[in-house]
Amino acid sequence: MRYTDFHISISAEEVCRLLDGHKSTLGGELAEELEEMLPEAFERLEPEAFLGVGDTEGVLYEEEAEEGQEALYVITTVGEALSGWSGELFREGDCVKAMLADAIADHCLFQMDRQLREPVLGLCRQQGLGIRRRLEAPQDAPMEIQKKALQVSGAGEGGMEITEGLMYRPVKSACQVFLLTRDRDQFFWEHDCSGCPDTSCRMRKGRPPVLEVETVDRDGLKRRRIRGHVQAGQSILETLRAWGIYLDAPCGGRGTCGKCRIRLVKGELAVTEADRSHFSEEELERGVRLACRAHPAGDCVIRLKEAREDAFYIPGSREKAGEESLERKSAEKAGRKGVAVDIGTTTVAMELADLETGERPRIYTSLNTQRQYGADVISRIQAADEGKAKEMQDCIRDVLREGLARLTDGGKEHIDRMVIGANTTMVHLLMGYPCHSLGVYPFMPCSTERIDTDGQALLGEAAEDFDVSVFPGVSAYIGGDITAGLYALDFHRKEEVSVLVDLGTNGEMAVGNKDRILAASAAAGPAFEGDNIICGTGSIPGAICGARWNGQQMELQTIGGGAPVGICGTGIIEAVYEMMEAGILDETGRLEEPWDEEGFPLDGEGKIRIFQKDIREIQLAKAAVRAGLETLLAACGVEARDVDTFYIAGGFGCQLDIEKAAGIGLLPQDCVGKARPAGNTSLEGALRYLREAGGGAAVDEIAGKVREISLSTDRNFQQLYMEYMYFGEDEE
Amino acid sequence: MELLQEMSELLQKGKAKKVKALVQQALDEGVDPKEILNEGLLSGMMIIGGKFKNNEVFVPEVLVAARAMNAGLSILEPKLVEVGNEPVGRAVIGTVQGDLHDIGKNLVCMMFKGAGFEVCDLGVDVSSDAFIDKAEEMHADVIGMSALLSTTMCQMQACIDRLKERGLREKYIVMIGGAPVTDDFARQIGADYYTPDAASAAETARSVVLEKKSA
Repeated sequence: MRYTDFHISISAEEVCRLLDGHKSTLGGELAEELEEMLPEAFERLEPEAFLGVGDTEGVLYEEEAEEGQEALYVITTVGEALSGWSGELFREGDCVKAMLADAIADHCLFQMDRQLREPVLGLCRQQGLGIRRRLEAPQDAPMEIQKKALQVSGAGEGGMEITEGLMYRPVKSACQVFLLTRDRDQFFWEHDCSGCPDTSCRMRKGRPPVLEVETVDRDGLKRRRIRGHVQAGQSILETLRAWGIYLDAPCGGRGTCGKCRIRLVKGELAVTEADRSHFSEEELERGVRLACRAHPAGDCVIRLKEAREDAFYIPGSREKAGEESLERKSAEKAGRKGVAVDIGTTTVAMELADLETGERPRIYTSLNTQRQYGADVISRIQAADEGKAKEMQDCIRDVLREGLARLTDGGKEHIDRMVIGANTTMVHLLMGYPCHSLGVYPFMPCSTERIDTDGQALLGEAAEDFDVSVFPGVSAYIGGDITAGLYALDFHRKEEVSVLVDLGTNGEMAVGNKDRILAASAAAGPAFEGDNIICGTGSIPGAICGARWNGQQMELQTIGGGAPVGICGTGIIEAVYEMMEAGILDETGRLEEPWDEEGFPLDGEGKIRIFQKDIREIQLAKAAVRAGLETLLAACGVEARDVDTFYIAGGFGCQLDIEKAAGIGLLPQDCVGKARPAGNTSLEGALRYLREAGGGAAVDEIAGKVREISLSTDRNFQQLYMEYMYFGEDEE
Repeated sequence: MELLQEMSELLQKGKAKKVKALVQQALDEGVDPKEILNEGLLSGMMIIGGKFKNNEVFVPEVLVAARAMNAGLSILEPKLVEVGNEPVGRAVIGTVQGDLHDIGKNLVCMMFKGAGFEVCDLGVDVSSDAFIDKAEEMHADVIGMSALLSTTMCQMQACIDRLKERGLREKYIVMIGGAPVTDDFARQIGADYYTPDAASAAETARSVVLEKKSA
């Protein structure tokens, strides 16, 4: 297999370090010369890797040789043009640039080594294998292994050569050999270079620390034991991520949300500032740490609760709580098929549809695994700025590939079309657009145009060949998901004024009719999705989704009806309403004593509580949504009572109680009776676009019609935001 | 001489353009090209080499100095030929057969020039006979071989054996270097000198060649 999807950056600092420039007073001067060389360096760079699995007969030292042992052979090269650059410059007499060229090539090769981890793991996963050890010739295996690698990996056919001295041409190439094992929970992919005789090597790292992870399920039962290397500079959270272990980290590993909790069983992990702010002395004593802040210096064993992705209940467009999220009806008919996709910041929903009959036989939902890099779009943009854009693109591509496979029965069914509705940041990450300008004033997207492409361009060469359309957006914060929602609800055709409110993390809303549509995005924060709330959770089985005060205690309703494990968005809204009604909470949002200190217990055991901080989060979120909505209505020149229908979209697992939502001031009283839960409107819009002839023109028309009101600079909004911060009767 | 002193100091600082200008100025003023080479350029390079060995300066300093020397040499060399300057010695240097790595070898060539040698860079993947034929042709004093891999190190031995076969072993000083090479290995295959880095290779070559010539 040939792999070329590398993303190389050249860091002056690293190149200088490779030349000892960091010790020299000339470091700065070198950096300047390097700067001049960069354009040509990138022009010359042709990074390529070849991977292949084969036997190890005759190419291992005796102690490693084992019957039937297989290895993954990998060869990387920066290409002849960059490889030979240094020699050319030497011949010209410029030894400074020549040495820089040499260091640049090494620097690129080292990065490629790192970036290969993913395809290496992908190949292993595909074959159900783990990595037992990484070998490098000649310390760990005879040089002859380089020849074997050339054959098995396909690099020979790819144009690389090997000399009689077993050296590759191009010279700046490297060979990695991974011994494989049937135990897929082994990840020993780092090279242990402690045996290398070159003790003065600048890259010397010694033996990499080994991490061992015992995972337990919700009931504390052991599930599996995973072992492998921790890469230098990586946190435990990042390591787990690479191993495919999912640990919830809504803050994206900044050490602020306190959710990626692990427990140290053996070894040492220094207590960090973040640990201190989230855990008690007693917990720290027991070894509780945040995975995102933990950098093991030596071997250690940790234990953690594995959040199973499939435990997350995610609503599709037509589902009610409790239904299976992957429906299978007989869809063996030969009609043309398409897939509608909604890529949300938190979740992804995909639905298969018959393009002729409109039948929708299967739906697939998944968490957006980019969530590991942060719960909201801002943290994703920051992560992209920090060089994680490629990883996040891979995350969403993987989710889409998996969804496609599930919907088409592993590719047995052919699809003709795919339509994607997603917010602007999600589109940028999916398409690989630079995200930086989305996150800084004046918040400019690279593009919000409708995208027409194909499956292979979107998901890689292995994908089926089908057309792909991505909904056009309006601005950085009014994205294609809103365009899709407006399209689904026919805003652009209706005479009457309608309102669409999407209670997701970004709190987008739109008001209008066929003449004009105004839209805004209010930074509601993730409180309505259960994040930011101490006992908050996503819409998973056991999440409290409803509450009623009976005078003595809360009567709770949970998703799936089981014992409560946390509280999700609708549950929080209902609980806050009931607490307000019961006088547990005053108008300013203050919890009465003693609950202001210890939190108000929702369940009998007091395990799940609502704390003062949670109430404040809800106040901020609901004030933002409500003030945004009122600002939009005012800008439109209409009153809430003039609105025909309020469509409430959002990723709630259960139906939102409109009266209670209005009761806490999240929505205007006037919308009671006129509100319609609209489900996943972005997905609905995508389904419609799949089937509708001339859909492209229609969605472009809508996107063109929408005008964004910027709330952050709107005086009226600021005023309303403060007013709606309180609880209590609606003034209107 | 003040001008040459200044040239040496500028070279140590890596000021290529200024060194070149001073060489031109010295030539215009009628200074002996040999004196410019020895007092102006090589003396500066020797000082940098010495400091490098003592860890007073690092790779970048050596490189910029060498680049400045090359700049000066580019206009000085034709004049040296005119006046019939004899170099300290002559060396053929290359990377052995089967081995393509040239970075270390290039550095050695550079340092040899800085020590006053006339250097023939044979490049990479050089056969034993190619080393010897070239050495014969240019009346070399030193054969320098580089190898990066344990699988190519044996070619050094092959070259020494070939020298013996051709009855030329005593005629040349054989020096070897490269990542897997050690002092022990040098003794084992009958090489004359092993040095761990390019600067000491040039220094060793200079002193043994001068010694041999004065004997």
